[in-house]
Amino acid sequence: MTNNPISRRNFLGLAAGAAGAAALAACGSDGPSTSGGGTTTGGGGGAASYWSLSGPPGQPYRQAAIDRFNKANSGSKITPLFFQNDAYKQKIKTALGANEGPTMIWGWGGGGLKEYVGSNLVEDLTDWFGQNAAVKDKILSSSFGAATVNGKIYALPIETVQPIVLFYNKKVFERVGAEPPKSWGDIMALVPKFNAAKVAPFSLAGQSRWTNMMWLEFLLDRTAGSEVFDRVFAGEKGAWSDPAVLDMLTKIQDLVKANGFQKGFSSTTADSNADQALLYTGKAAMMLHGSWSYGIQAAQGGNFVKDGGLGWMNFPAVEGGKGDPSNTVGNPGQYLSISSKATAEAKDVAKKFFSTTLVDDEEKAGWVKSGGVPVLKGSESLFTGADAQFLKDMSSIASGAKVFAQSWDQALSPTAAETLLDNIAKLFQLQVSPQQWVDSMNGVIGK
Amino acid sequence: MATITKPAPSPTASTPGARRRRQAMSYNWLGGGLSWVWLFVAMLPIYWIVITSFKTQDNYFITNSLLPPSEFTFENYKTVIENDFVRYFFNSAIVTVGAIVPAVLISFMAAFAIVRGAGSRLLKGMNWIFLMGLAIPLQAVIIPVYLIIIKLKMYDTLAAIILPSIAFAIPLSVLVLSNFIRDVPKELFESMRMDGASEWGTMWRLAFPLTRPALVTVTIYNALGIWNGFLLPLVLTQSPDQRTIPLALTNFQGQFGVNIPAIAASVTLTTLPIVLLYAIGRRQLLSGLTAGFGK
Amino acid sequence: MALPAFVWFVAFGIIPLLGVLALSFTTWNGIGTIQPSGLTSWRATLSDPGLPHALWVTFLIMILSWAVQTPLSILFGVFLAARKRYRGFLAVLYFIPLLLSSAAIAITYKSLLDPNFGLGTGLGIEWLNQDWLGNSTLAFATLIFIVSWQFIPFHSLIYQGAVRQIPTSMYEASQIDGAGRMRQFWSITLPQLKYTIITSSTLMVVGSLTFFDLIYVLTGGGPGDATRALALAMYQQGFQANLMGPASAIAVILVLVGLGLSLLLRRLGGRADDSQLEGA
Repeated sequence: MTNNPISRRNFLGLAAGAAGAAALAACGSDGPSTSGGGTTTGGGGGAASYWSLSGPPGQPYRQAAIDRFNKANSGSKITPLFFQNDAYKQKIKTALGANEGPTMIWGWGGGGLKEYVGSNLVEDLTDWFGQNAAVKDKILSSSFGAATVNGKIYALPIETVQPIVLFYNKKVFERVGAEPPKSWGDIMALVPKFNAAKVAPFSLAGQSRWTNMMWLEFLLDRTAGSEVFDRVFAGEKGAWSDPAVLDMLTKIQDLVKANGFQKGFSSTTADSNADQALLYTGKAAMMLHGSWSYGIQAAQGGNFVKDGGLGWMNFPAVEGGKGDPSNTVGNPGQYLSISSKATAEAKDVAKKFFSTTLVDDEEKAGWVKSGGVPVLKGSESLFTGADAQFLKDMSSIASGAKVFAQSWDQALSPTAAETLLDNIAKLFQLQVSPQQWVDSMNGVIGK
Repeated sequence: MATITKPAPSPTASTPGARRRRQAMSYNWLGGGLSWVWLFVAMLPIYWIVITSFKTQDNYFITNSLLPPSEFTFENYKTVIENDFVRYFFNSAIVTVGAIVPAVLISFMAAFAIVRGAGSRLLKGMNWIFLMGLAIPLQAVIIPVYLIIIKLKMYDTLAAIILPSIAFAIPLSVLVLSNFIRDVPKELFESMRMDGASEWGTMWRLAFPLTRPALVTVTIYNALGIWNGFLLPLVLTQSPDQRTIPLALTNFQGQFGVNIPAIAASVTLTTLPIVLLYAIGRRQLLSGLTAGFGK
Repeated sequence: MALPAFVWFVAFGIIPLLGVLALSFTTWNGIGTIQPSGLTSWRATLSDPGLPHALWVTFLIMILSWAVQTPLSILFGVFLAARKRYRGFLAVLYFIPLLLSSAAIAITYKSLLDPNFGLGTGLGIEWLNQDWLGNSTLAFATLIFIVSWQFIPFHSLIYQGAVRQIPTSMYEASQIDGAGRMRQFWSITLPQLKYTIITSSTLMVVGSLTFFDLIYVLTGGGPGDATRALALAMYQQGFQANLMGPASAIAVILVLVGLGLSLLLRRLGGRADDSQLEGA
């Protein structure tokens, strides 16, 4: 009847065999190491579980801490799992939503933590810190802000402080004969100078939105101080209508219109590090970015950093602005919370981890090696080698800041943050007017 | 009504008719020209991926992105393989095969039943329900699916990925297959019936071979989706030994940036075996797509 | 006989769908308790101007990608169907874009389209250094291009198989009648491909409804919301803004749109009582 190369019988046989083998393999992989679901340790045979971000620079040091703890506490081990940044955000949400989360929840504090608190998912650690004052003392006090909700502490600050910094390419400045800016006026004056020399004044990864946000954060702070955003954060109605906000938004659009950013900045993404590449290849003169950029530029920029081509400074003041020029914004730390749904035993293991390994000297040394400033006090003596000056400066910015504000998209609730990022993108695209921006943001205050 | 004759001869033979046709026509400029342009367009990104996989992260931005690297490095490939690539590959293979085979088979059975039993209200109802499932966005139902998997105690297994994948492949497969089966002339079924064949026999001995083009189409389409599926493995598995290839890509996305050369290496390694598979099996594939029910 | 498929689908498809339907009548942030809230989420979704925009974006993507992919796929399919040696080699190469995951493709193109380090700089063609992903229109066009790049190989494969199935007798007969290549294409090839076109279009249209991975990694719905298709809007509402209620409402809308489309397609594909081979 037909001319099948494979006869029906053989095909069915193959299919059945394949399906059977697949089924067997799938069952076989349901081995002893899987949790099988339903346990609140969230996976693995250890006494407590810990989920965090994978990849450089942090994973090796997180793993090292876990290993140190497990070696010293062989009876009650911690099982770590690492996920990529975005994947982690997705995973932790679905896991918590299905009551399958880990014992220790890694996060960015602020609005996200507030949501966990609102859903009773994390332990109140205030009393524990009261009893373990020594632990609290080892950590920079400014880092606790983002761990506190309604006056109570719900997370342990860990890892590094990451202020946002204005980086600049010293070689480009020399070539054009310009001085690093000391005020907003200087910045606007430098823009045409660099454009004439065919160098982008500022490098910006416009597609990634949060990179644009850094500009708003600093400008608003320098113009009006940190009180305006505090009012927003506190949920005050119409808090965005402060005239300083309109002023700040207009300044930003002026900068965009003056070609302050590289051509095609809306297509440049941060994850490929293209924006940083613009700086270290000399195609851009300055860049506002997180302190972690130093490590990336040192690693990927060839000899740029080693030869002293990279300069850095805190964001300059705005003339007539009310903000304290020592203020900074960024990540005052990363945060580790304890799941309230974990077993008592798991919680104890976590607390032990908090009070011993996470505040010990190796932890401090490890994070310095990663190129960051630890949240643990007293790390200045460890700043040696080529990166010493940078780390020292970062440390003094972080500890000297009158206010170390948290990034807006972390401080606000995810709902409001999403609207914020949306509006910021449109602002930089010149698709909304400052007034429209304010109205839209006022609409999500307190959400 | 067309009579049943042998279908197209196997592609290895070139029939006199075809040769005559080719000689009689002038060269197909439009088709040919466009195809070469398309080749360039299609291959450029592929070329980029391959050469980038041999670059290091530092010289990646400094050198021209379209030129081969001055110093080839296999470091990225080493990283990829060290990161458990082989296991991810096998996991992906198991999941794909394990999901496709049942999915296509039961979809075929359902499509056959729906077409043959066109009068039954029950079957009509089932068909409607399948149609409803055409546009279910995976991201929407992921949480309920997750909960079901947990209740079935299958979390963090490959089966957790396989089971929902089968379900999601069904609606479209049923749609395409039933359209195709409808094309089979009713007389063929009558003659099988007169020879005393049961519905079951008719299904496998008549409809199945005749529906081959649609089966192949549906298989490829679903296989690609499952092979590259990211959301289901992400949510339904967690231990490193249950991960599939799309998750492997995320290994190279650090906290602050993406290791593009490593990703390029990972993509190259993933694609190479399948390309080879396709190169070898292409004739079979094409003959499967060409089989028909009459000429 | 249809039972296994039905049971399976109900278990893993319909039940979760009912779950989503139920969720659309609640307010939930994804991690806390689920609070039933009647029509609140629905009202929020239906009054959100983002919804009609997302619908528009989705339809635009659907129509444009069909309009670009179908003619090209048919052309390539016809070209590849004629048997010449190097065409086999070409076919293997053409197939490769299909094998890459959407995420890999998006990452690749993001790098290639970087206005400072991408294709334009590499080839020295300044025109290629546009704001591809930052300008709304360009971003949209880029998206359509990349989708086509990824899926044309697949559809041309289907068409290739279908074209081979067309009896050469038909072509020979028309040649005797003096028909040229173009005439043959329009009068023989295309009509014979009718059912293949329907199958291929079904796959394209339905696929583009739930299109997510590529857009998410490539533009994240941006710039602004220029490429925010329905599935993306749903994801952002649910998993980024933590508004699972409205996100579920969008999901239900998506399902209904899909249902409507599939009915339409069935109508087109259902007239199968006439054989395609009349006149052979």
